[in-house]
Order: sequence, then C-alpha cells, then structure tokens
Amino acid sequence: MKASLATSAALHALVLTWALVSLGSPESFDVADVEALPVDIVSIEELTQIQQGDKQAPVKDKAAPVPTAKETPVENAENVGDSDVDLKNLPMPEERPRDIETAAAPEKAEKVVQTPDPKPVEDVKQEEPPSEPSTEVAALPEARQDVAPDPKPDAAPAEEAPPEEAEAEALPDKVPVPAMRPKVEQAQAQTAKTPERKKEEKKKQEKASSLNESDFNADEIAALLNKEKASGGGAKRSRDEAALGGKKTTGGSKLTMSEMDALRGQIQNNWSIIPGLADAAEVRIKVTMQLDQNGDIIGEPSVVATGGTESARRALAGGAKRAIMKSRPFRGLPPEKYDAWREVVVNFDPSDMM
Amino acid sequence: MEQVGLEAVGSVTLWGLFMQAGFVVKLVMLGLIAASIWTWAIVVDKSLSYGKARRQLDSFEQVFWSGQSLEELYRTLSDRQTSGMSAIFVAAMREWKKSFERGARAPIGLQMRIDRAMDVTLARESELLEARLGSLATIGSSAPFIGLFGTVVGIMTSFQAIAGSKQTSLAVVAPGIAEALLATAIGLLAAIPAVIAYNKFSADAGKLTARMEGFADEFSAILSRQIDEKLQPRAAAQ
Repeated sequence: MKASLATSAALHALVLTWALVSLGSPESFDVADVEALPVDIVSIEELTQIQQGDKQAPVKDKAAPVPTAKETPVENAENVGDSDVDLKNLPMPEERPRDIETAAAPEKAEKVVQTPDPKPVEDVKQEEPPSEPSTEVAALPEARQDVAPDPKPDAAPAEEAPPEEAEAEALPDKVPVPAMRPKVEQAQAQTAKTPERKKEEKKKQEKASSLNESDFNADEIAALLNKEKASGGGAKRSRDEAALGGKKTTGGSKLTMSEMDALRGQIQNNWSIIPGLADAAEVRIKVTMQLDQNGDIIGEPSVVATGGTESARRALAGGAKRAIMKSRPFRGLPPEKYDAWREVVVNFDPSDMM
Repeated sequence: MEQVGLEAVGSVTLWGLFMQAGFVVKLVMLGLIAASIWTWAIVVDKSLSYGKARRQLDSFEQVFWSGQSLEELYRTLSDRQTSGMSAIFVAAMREWKKSFERGARAPIGLQMRIDRAMDVTLARESELLEARLGSLATIGSSAPFIGLFGTVVGIMTSFQAIAGSKQTSLAVVAPGIAEALLATAIGLLAAIPAVIAYNKFSADAGKLTARMEGFADEFSAILSRQIDEKLQPRAAAQ
C-alpha cells in the first residue's frame, strides 16, 4: 500500500506540475474597442407617411424638395423638376448634337405642316425649349442648327418666333402619355425632332407607316423599341427650402395636434353640457365620423360612451351627437390632408369641459 | 484608479488562482487533492493485488486438478503463507487432519466443522479483496459536494468583496468566480476516477469471491465423499 501511495503521490505531483506549467493563464479575449452599434428604431409611419422632400436635406418641420428654377405650375404634377411634362425619371443631360446630314430635312418640313399636334414624349426628351406647338414651325430648331436653306417659305417667319413664347403656349397641350407613341402619325413624330435623331426617326417612321398599312411584323420588334435615352424630370415646382423627405408622398399626412384640437373645439363650442350631471367626469366619449371634402358629415356619426352610470352615458352621448350635427360643416381642416380626416376619431373627456 | 484595481485582481493562472483563494477554499482544494492521491493509490494497489490474486487462483486450480495427492499438496502449502483458494484449502485440510488425529466418529459433525472453517477463511479472503473499496465509494460520492462547498464559499467571499469594492465590472467579478470554480473542478477530478475505479474493482472482487466460493463448495463435496469412504468401513467394522 505504501508503494502504491508513493506512486500515486508522484503521479499527482507530475500532473500538477505539468498543469501549472502548461495550463497557464488562458489567453485573454481580444476585445477591440467597438463602438456601440447605432440602432435606429424605424416606425412603420416612416414608410407609410413619407412626405415629398429631398433625401439629403436636413430635417425640418415640413418636408420640401429642392426648389425648382421655374415657377410656372403644372397641373397634377407629382414629380418635382423643371421639366414641362411630369415624368418619373430623373433629368438627364442630352448629349451634344453631332453632325447631321441635312438632306432629309426638307421632306419633313413639308409633312409637318399637316400636323398641328406635337408628340409629347419626344418633347420631353429635349432639353431645349420646345418649339413645336406653333404648328407648322416644329422643324425650325433643326433648321437653325443645320438646315440653313429651308425650302419652305411658310416656315421662315415662324422660325423667328422666340422659344419662350412657344413654351408658354405649349405647356397645357402636352400630356405625358408615352403609350401613345406607336399610334402617332409619321408627321407628328417628325415635328419635334432634334437634328441628331433625324436618321433614326426616319427609319422609325417608315416602319410605323408599314405597321399602319399592313400588319405587325415580329422581325421588326427591335426597331420598334425605344432606344432613345431617357431624359426627363418632373414638372412639380417647389419654392420652399429643401428639407428631408422621400421621393414622393406615399401616404396621407396626419392631422397635427392643433388641427385636431381645432376640430374638437368646434364640437365643444356647440356642446351644452348639463352642469352637475352625476358621474359625468367618469364618462369617456369616442366619436367616429366620416367627413366629405367640404367638412360635412357623411352618414351618421357613431358616438360611443364608456364609464360612468347609464344615465350619464346616455345624456352625454346624446349631447355629443347634437353638438356634432350642430357644428357641421367643420372648418379649418387642411384640404390637402383630406386622407387624414376622411374618417376621423375624436375623443372627449367631459370632465375637461365642465 | 481603475487600472490599479484591475491589476490588483491578480493573475489567472492555476497557481495564481489557488494562491489568492481564501483559507476555506484552499483547505477544500488541498483536501480534494489528498483524496485524489488516495484514490489513485488505491487504484494502483488494487489493480496490482487483484492481478496477483487472479494469477494465484489460476495456478492453484491447475495444481489442485492436476491429480496430485491432497496430502502432498497440504504438506507443501501448510508451511507457506497462503491466500485465496490455497488458504481455504489449507484451512479445510487442517480441520480434517485435526478431526482424524483425535479420532472423530461423527461424519456429520466433521463435515460441518470443515464447512465452517472454509466459510470463515472465505470471508476473511473476500474481506481482504474488498478492503479500501469503501473509501473509493466515499470519495466518489462526496468529492463533488466538497468541491461544490468550496465553490459556494469562494463565490460568497468574492461577492462580499465585490460588494465592498462597489464595482461590478466583469474584470472584478471574474477572477473570484474562476477561483471558486477551481474547487469544483478538483472535486470532479477526484470523484470521477474514484467512481469508475469503485465500480470496476467491486465487480472484480465479486468475480474472485465467486470463484473462491465455487472452489470451496467443490472441495467440500470432495471431502464429504472422503469422509463417507473413510468412516463407513470403521462403522461397518464395529
């Protein structure tokens, strides 16, 4: 037993020495000085309630896009830009005009005469002020650049017409409907041509005419595709200083507290609360009503009273309904936020009104 | 200030952990290391002695069943120090001799005495085999608890120290806990081999004892036949 005890002790001494030597301090974790991760809490409202503005601009109370140079408003424009026609794509500078063969110009000018209506899509592609609207004169900008000898006598006077005037007249006529293009007649397509595209356009016109005349030709699909570079930009004007916002407004804005309070005030003014009604302080009233754009109520407002006694609830709910009917139509609701107050919920605490 | 505090925490090597442990924890660790040493001493001792016992049983069985005369075998073995089966054999033969030298008459009484002598020797032998297995079992079952006790005490003291230092950074908390956990680690280190060894050795001891019992029964049968053969003629003569 002594021998084995000695053996065991020696064994332990060995193992312990080995452990002390080789199982030294474990390597300490290499903890780099990591900055705390910045976490933004994004509420769904930031997606559903985006207001049109500029993505790089600082935050302000009211979102607004970068101010535009032109001030003349375009009706129903949604995208901000200096363009005359409202387009979704970003404005792109057009390439410099290249040398152009002039031979084709005279023919076009002749055709132009018959078509007073300019083709909108092509107008937009040009950075130059559009000169087409003055019906016959459409070909003139080209003529100025390259086609010095314009064979047409009628066109000559129109050439001198200042582009600005033409533009002013032109604006209302233009409608951004790209889908129309295939149907456009040859002559229309030619009117607004920039010089560099003449050749292309000629081919297209020929193809378009063949379409009109005969049938759809599958082999020529490629030729029908629009190979022109997009250049556009919206037509909505902005005058405010740029402030943070999205590309476009995605959802109805919410009524501000003051707007909400104004609405509540209109109802309260017409609300005659019976003083001394027992338990009135414990009643809460929730009014849900649908409003039309004039602030008038559509249908019946729903009045729900909770808390308090049965009699107090009935009395206050009736009073609320009468007050609402009396105070319509509601004034001072911002019409551009109609989405927000189309259906509006107003909460009343009668104890505040006594 | 904080830098100083962190350095004061000390090293986290095994030796450093042991040295900075409190008195109770140190005691527990030393006790557990002693238990581990004892466990392995028993393991070494038992594996040697069991191997020896097994070899002795094998050689004795070979000699016993070789057809050698029992008287001769007894004569050679009675002088030596015997263990295992040979001890049982010697005890039985001694009882047989004594009875015959005094001229025993009753065959049943003789048989009972021989059986009793063999039983006593068997019990002594198996007790020898199982000696110290009990301490293995004790270490195996109690060492984890002792280690746990050391850990609990260590963590208690280190939490008291943290409460005193009024800092809760992990660098302050960790060494105390690591030091305390060392006690449990040593406890497990002692307990696991002890449990394994206990199970193995008690099974081995059971097997050896069963072999000896089998031999004792067989030998008892042989002697009983001898008694009948030797006493029958005398009874018939009378």
